[in-house]
Amino acid sequence: MFRSRHLPTSFPPTNHITMSSPPAAKKQKHTNNTAGNSISRGPSHSQIIQRRQKAKDALSSLPADKKASVLERYHGSSTASHRLHTLRHDDKHEDTSNLSSYQLRNLQKRRSNPNTHRGIQRFAECKETKRLENAMEAMHAEEILHDYNSGLIEVETDMERTTQLTQEKLKQDMLEENVARNIYNLELQDYSPYIMRYDRSGRYSLLCGRKGHVAVIDQHTMGLSTEFHLGEVTRDACFLHNGTMMAVAQERNVFIYDENGAEVHRLDGHKRVFGMEFLPYHWLLATIGHAGFLQYQDTSTGEIVSQHRTKMGPCHTLRQNPHNAVLHLGHTNGTVTLWSPSSSEYLVKMLCHKGSAVTSLAIDRSGTYMATGGGDNKVRIWDLRMYKETHYYKTYGGPPVCMDISQTGILGVGHGCHANFWRGEGLKVKVDDMYMKHECSGSGPLESARFRPFEDVCGIGHAGGVSSIVIPGSGEPNLDSNEHFTNPYMDNKQRRETEVRSLLEKLRPDMIALDPDVIGSIEESNLIQKQQRLRDLAESADAKKAAEKEASKSKKQKKKMRGRNKISKKLARKQKNVIDEGTEKLKEAREQERVEKEREQKNRNDGDDHDNDAPAALRRFFNA
Amino acid sequence: MKVKALNRTKASTTRATPSDLRPVHKNLNPASHPLPRAREYTRAITAAKLDRMFANPFVGELKGGHVDGVNCIGVCRTNLLPVVSGGVDGTVRIWDLQSRTMVKNLEAHSRCVSGVVFGHGGMFYSCGEEGLVKAWSCFPKQSAGDSSDEDSEGYAKKPSSVKRMETDEESPFGPFNTYRLPSVRSSHNSVAFHSIDHHWAISQFATASSDSAVHLWDPNRTSPVTSFSNLWGSDDTVTTVRYNPAESNLIAHCSNDRGIGLHDTRTASALAKTILGMKSNCLEWNPMEPYMFVVGNEDYNAYTFDMRKLKRPTSMYKGHVGAVMSVSWSPTGTEFVTGSYDKTIRIFNARKEGGTASHMGSSSTGIARDIYHTKRMQRVFCTAYTSDHKFILSGSDDTNLRLWKARSSEKIGQLSSREEASLQYRSALVQKYAHLPEVKRIAKSRRIPKLVKKQTAEAIVQKEKKRRKEGNVVKHSKPGTKSFTDERGKVVVKTVD
Repeated sequence: MFRSRHLPTSFPPTNHITMSSPPAAKKQKHTNNTAGNSISRGPSHSQIIQRRQKAKDALSSLPADKKASVLERYHGSSTASHRLHTLRHDDKHEDTSNLSSYQLRNLQKRRSNPNTHRGIQRFAECKETKRLENAMEAMHAEEILHDYNSGLIEVETDMERTTQLTQEKLKQDMLEENVARNIYNLELQDYSPYIMRYDRSGRYSLLCGRKGHVAVIDQHTMGLSTEFHLGEVTRDACFLHNGTMMAVAQERNVFIYDENGAEVHRLDGHKRVFGMEFLPYHWLLATIGHAGFLQYQDTSTGEIVSQHRTKMGPCHTLRQNPHNAVLHLGHTNGTVTLWSPSSSEYLVKMLCHKGSAVTSLAIDRSGTYMATGGGDNKVRIWDLRMYKETHYYKTYGGPPVCMDISQTGILGVGHGCHANFWRGEGLKVKVDDMYMKHECSGSGPLESARFRPFEDVCGIGHAGGVSSIVIPGSGEPNLDSNEHFTNPYMDNKQRRETEVRSLLEKLRPDMIALDPDVIGSIEESNLIQKQQRLRDLAESADAKKAAEKEASKSKKQKKKMRGRNKISKKLARKQKNVIDEGTEKLKEAREQERVEKEREQKNRNDGDDHDNDAPAALRRFFNA
Repeated sequence: MKVKALNRTKASTTRATPSDLRPVHKNLNPASHPLPRAREYTRAITAAKLDRMFANPFVGELKGGHVDGVNCIGVCRTNLLPVVSGGVDGTVRIWDLQSRTMVKNLEAHSRCVSGVVFGHGGMFYSCGEEGLVKAWSCFPKQSAGDSSDEDSEGYAKKPSSVKRMETDEESPFGPFNTYRLPSVRSSHNSVAFHSIDHHWAISQFATASSDSAVHLWDPNRTSPVTSFSNLWGSDDTVTTVRYNPAESNLIAHCSNDRGIGLHDTRTASALAKTILGMKSNCLEWNPMEPYMFVVGNEDYNAYTFDMRKLKRPTSMYKGHVGAVMSVSWSPTGTEFVTGSYDKTIRIFNARKEGGTASHMGSSSTGIARDIYHTKRMQRVFCTAYTSDHKFILSGSDDTNLRLWKARSSEKIGQLSSREEASLQYRSALVQKYAHLPEVKRIAKSRRIPKLVKKQTAEAIVQKEKKRRKEGNVVKHSKPGTKSFTDERGKVVVKTVD
């Protein structure tokens, strides 16, 4: 047999060599653990705790703004800690009837032991440590990579209030010329009231007068890039994926125009539209109108992806949640409903303003807070993680008709001829002081208010035209090249390339869900819940089967005649009524035979009447 | 009161001159990147699609080919470009891979060329079924003064000590020597050679012949140095013989009695032999793990064996629907290519994980990572990896030699750093989401010939039938008498010491 004598020394050792010294290996492993440098098993728990403490110490020594940016990352959702929480919650549950004996035993063991779920807790701690460390690292990276800082207003004495600042003062004294040119007022009374919206990069603004005047202004050159008159009512207008295309909701249909004002498409499916939103990552144009039909149209293929009947009448208020691309509709009965293309029912329904209509709403960039304005002259702030109201602000002088939340979280509310602005903290907790105020005195009620992306500017549309004002700190200071169509200085070549890339990355409509992280993730397996679910499934399947069985029993069996229309049968049927001599004779003969047989039977029965009466055991004697 | 507002300048976001690169900005705040998971998943699907879109493995044929089927290919172990092929018509052709053209057509043998192998210094040996082995050089002979031993290249020199036997033919490529078995010189029914292999380190080559013997030859001597005949008492023809790359005295061979044998050339003793269910057509040692070898079998499968444990193959590689005629390891030793009688070429990952492109087909071993075929390619008799591990050569019955890319969607030529980064990102994405059904389906999809597809479906039915039958046998026999054996356990019929 082939022996190892022929093996060169460079060959891997055969099995019996490695197997020969297990005690030595074990011993070595043990010493490794005591030394605390077990490389193969990763850092020990105590090391993790040390690292976390170190990171926390570093965090506490940071200045407030950096600390906030770290904490913002750190306090996201964590699967491990969530799992721990649900397990503990399940253990507290009183009803143990549906647990197996094995599960019950384990549960009792856990309840008696103070260190329940220690393994998972350690795992969660390890994850938390890593997340904290990553958040710290990201903060340090940000310091290098981010080249702009957010705008702000600093108060020098206690007596000063930021609300005292007027736009005139800002323009004249406080701002550099490059920024101050963003404060302007266009008086356009002929086609008013106006709405004003920006594209994703904040370069172009779209002006749309109710009486059919549409204009696009390049905010960099302050020049008019397109202007046209439609001669009919326009109810809403929005840019599509970039500043070169816009959708306008007109008297009957929605039309799409290009940058030269040429009509590109007429969207017949959308009738009498009041509100429009464009979902940039899905390339969907969503509209809602007089009939209360929510429609999604894919603007890259032209296909209507889905349409939902809201059954809640005409709707004027439509906004998207930028975090998960779910649409929020504000209805006249005071409710807000959440919609996605894949579900024909609303995902969530909230009663936001009891007894009055929802007039406006806005959602912040992180998808955590929603602000709704109602006919009760209140701006209510909702936490979308719990769907609960956190606090509200009152408006004096008309209901809040328009509202927007800037990229940095500044809340702008328009009511009557006032525009009020709250700081980012105003969404989290109720603050007493407003951030800024602006009044469009003499130019009628406000129609729309939108923040300009990546700039400290807010555009206001009203009955007297449009105004642009500067709200320091409202724009995201740092651009990102990977986000399509957000570069305001994009040249044509970049635009074309971006268009192709963003189409390649177009998300499918059915990916819209309340939790955007659900895609590509694995279902969490909680043993108790899983078993309960399986049991429920089995039960419902059994019930269904039983019901089917019951139904099939009660149903009468249908008698099916087959082959009635065969040619031969048809011919036979035709012959049925023909009187034939031979057949008659045959029939007579058969009849006679039958009668004879009957008679014979009768005679036999008469003869042996008693053998039927006899017991079965004795019957054979009679036959014999 | 102090006011600071964003004052964005055009200069920070645009390039100064058209020759500059465009500035790139990063915003690490997760809030400015909504829907990250869905977008990444979509990108992964696109990446998988792009990979299949760019999959174009066929580079081209080598022009001016054989007039009959190609029977064997020889690839130089030290130089990238020279390739020789032997045809059924008895010619040996030298090829230049760079220009994909023929350098020389040599009328080498009167019958089918059964093997070509490269020796040292550009020399190569061909063996024919008429019973001759001839020595050639793939570089034209220099004039007598030039052929000095201190040639720096090391391969363009002719072994000076070779004794010229036949001088009637004065071709610059040879033959420089002719070898034949002494006993049957000038006989009509001479012993046919079936395979030839050169030693990895020293000047020595081995042949397998129809007299069921393995002969070892010194290039300087016209008769064999050693002969191993009647191995294990079997009279069957030895079809393949291969030197082990690391163990200098170890030879493996396949023979017509369905056996695979190992023997030591020093002791002239047989080491071990294993007999499979059907005949093995080809055998190759793994160049990186030289205790492993792969055999291509008549039963449509390829098997890898650990030479220390011949009782069971370490893995089996399934998928062909015809006999495996040839097999060749990639120089990295991580994958091998098989050519089959079903007119396809398949590439298998030999390792469970960490293969070069494991996400592209199946990550597990046993199933082909890729399948190559063309409409015109007939039964494949020989395959070879080029020594840069980027290309595959195949010779088939339709007289053509074909050149394929080893990784079907790889771009030939130099990549710019951006291209490379993008490719790496795409492949990482596909790997990350490979477990999701949509990505998996796209990455695995291959268009295969209709006949092969049909036969594969049939094979699945047959396998299912066998499994069911075995199950029934186990079920209906006395408990404990019959049990299931795994598939690998059935491969080896018996082993002989």
